[in-house]
Amino acid sequence: MKLLSGEIISNEKCGKGLYKIEVFSPYICRNANAGQFVNVKCSPDGILDPLLRRPFSIYNVEKEYNVFSILYLEKGKGTKFLSDLKKGSNLNFAGPLGSSISIGDRSKNFLLVGGGIGIAPLYFLARTLIQKGKNIFFAAGFKDNNFIEWSGELTRLGINYRIFTEDGSWGDEGLATDFVKENIKKYKNYKIYCCGPRDMLISMQDILAGKKISVTALLEERMACGVGVCRGCAVKIKDGNGSFVYKTVCKDGPAFDLMEVIFD
Amino acid sequence: MIEGSGINLSVNLGRIKLKNPVVTCSGTFSSGLEYSEFYDVSILGAVTTKSFSFVSRAGNPPPRIWETTCGMLNSIGLQNEGIDFFIKNHLPKIKSLGAKIILSIFGDDPGEFKKIAREVKKVESSLLAVELNLSCPNVKEGGIAFSSMPAEVEKITEAVCKILEIPLIVKLSPNSDSIIESAIRAKCGGAEAVSIINSIVGTAIDIDTFKPRLGNVTGGMSGPAIKPIALAKVYFLAKADILPIIGMGGIYDWRDAVEFLVAGASAVGVGTANFVDYEAGKKIIEGIRNYLSKKGINDINKIIGKAIC
Repeated sequence: MKLLSGEIISNEKCGKGLYKIEVFSPYICRNANAGQFVNVKCSPDGILDPLLRRPFSIYNVEKEYNVFSILYLEKGKGTKFLSDLKKGSNLNFAGPLGSSISIGDRSKNFLLVGGGIGIAPLYFLARTLIQKGKNIFFAAGFKDNNFIEWSGELTRLGINYRIFTEDGSWGDEGLATDFVKENIKKYKNYKIYCCGPRDMLISMQDILAGKKISVTALLEERMACGVGVCRGCAVKIKDGNGSFVYKTVCKDGPAFDLMEVIFD
Repeated sequence: MIEGSGINLSVNLGRIKLKNPVVTCSGTFSSGLEYSEFYDVSILGAVTTKSFSFVSRAGNPPPRIWETTCGMLNSIGLQNEGIDFFIKNHLPKIKSLGAKIILSIFGDDPGEFKKIAREVKKVESSLLAVELNLSCPNVKEGGIAFSSMPAEVEKITEAVCKILEIPLIVKLSPNSDSIIESAIRAKCGGAEAVSIINSIVGTAIDIDTFKPRLGNVTGGMSGPAIKPIALAKVYFLAKADILPIIGMGGIYDWRDAVEFLVAGASAVGVGTANFVDYEAGKKIIEGIRNYLSKKGINDINKIIGKAIC
C-alpha cells in the first residue's frame, strides 16, 4: 500500500449520479487484487471538510493501460467533489487497501450477487475469474433502471447474467435474492460472492442457512483510517465459541464469510 | 539537533527527551507498524501506542465513526488485544524500526493499572515513557470518571509510579473543569508530564431514523474543529506552570503545531490528521523546521510558551 497521486484519465457520468473515474496508476495496476479498495481524499489540499478519506472498491484494473477505475454514486459532499474533478487533474488516494479475495483452483463455478453500487467490486472479481477460466453467473439487482448505461460493460464481459429491478423498469421485476432463492439447487456446487445493501446480505444469509454453500460477502462500513489502525469500521464476526469478535472491514475485510457475520 | 539544518528541535519534558516535539496521539497510530509502510516512523519524537488494558477488550458496538464538520466522532471503546499481546507481538517490531515508544495503558480501576504496570516493568527499558489514559470518553468504567475525580488521578499515578522507573505521562480530559487540579494531582503522584486534551464528548443523530449515529450514543470528538478548545486548555494549563505539556487536539498541520508550542506545550500530539494524511507526522516535523529556519530561530525551545502573558 502506498499514498499516491494519479492523473484522472476520465470521469464520466453513466447514470443519474452514477460515475466512473479512471485513474493512471501503474502501482495499483501491478498490486491490486479483487476485493481491495482505495481510500480517496475527497477535498482540495488544505480544505478540511469533508475531512476523512472515502473508501471505494476498485472497480476495474486495465493493466495494459496502467489505469484503474472506481464506479461511484454521488451521495454527499465527498462524492460531489469527486464528480467535479476534471480529466487531466490528479486524484490523491491510498491503496491498494484491504485483503485480497483468494480464488482457489478447486472451485470452477461462481455466482456473483450484486445489489446497487455493490456490483462495483464484483465486476473486478468477475474479470479476475474470467482470466482464470472460471464459469460465472452474475445476478445484479437495482431499484430502477439507473444502471442501464453501465450494463454495456457487463455485457462485454461475455458471461451469463440476469438483471432485476424492484420497479420492473429494466430486466426482470423483483429482487436478485428472490432469484437466488428460487434457483438455489442449481447453485449448490457454486462459490457465491455478494455485495450490496445490508437487507440484501441478510436475505442471502437466510437463503443459505444450512445449505453448506460457500458464500463470501464484501462489507461496507464508515472508516476513519482505512489501514487497520483506528478500529472504527468494526463488524461483528462469530468467533466459533458461540461468541463474537469485532473485525475491521478495512484490514481484516472487506471480504468475510457471510455466514459468520452477525447483523444486529 | 537536526543534521545539517543547524536548528535544535529537541525538547525535554522533565526526564523525557524527544529529538523533536512531534509525537502521535494514542489510538490514532496503533503501534506504528501500519504507518511504517508510508514513512520512517523513527523520525518522530515518539510513537504513542493505542491504549492497552490488562486483558483484551472487545470495544463498543458499531457504528463507531461519524464525520462532523471539520472533525469526527469515534466510539471505539478501547478495543485492544491486551498488554501481553503488545509486549509479545508489537513491541519487538516497532523497536526494530528504531522508534521511540510511549506506551499508553488503560485500566478500569487502580488495581488494573497496577497489574498492567507489573507486566510493563519487564520491558520498561524498551520504552521511552508510559502514558496513563485517565480520560477515554467512550468507556463506562474508569475513563471519563477518573478525569472528574482528581484524587483518583493522584492515586493511580502514584501506584504506577511505585512500580515503574520510566517517566509517566498522564492524559487528561477536557470533559470536566478539573484539568488544573488533575494536573496538580498527577504531579503529586509522580507524573513527569501531562497530555491534553483527550477527545470531547459529542454525538450526532439521524433525523430520519431518530437514532444516534453511534452505537454507543456518544463518542469522542476530534479533528480540526476542536483545536481552539484544546489550545485554550493548553494555554491556561501552561500558564499555571504545573508540569510540561504534550498539547493535542485538532492539530492538522505544522502551523497548528507551532500554535500549540507557542501556547505553552513542550511537545505536540498528532491524532486525527494521521487518518487524513498518512504522512502527517513527517510533514509537521518538516514544517516546524522550515518555519524556524525562515524566522531565523535556531532553537525550538525559544518559542515554547511565548504567547503566555
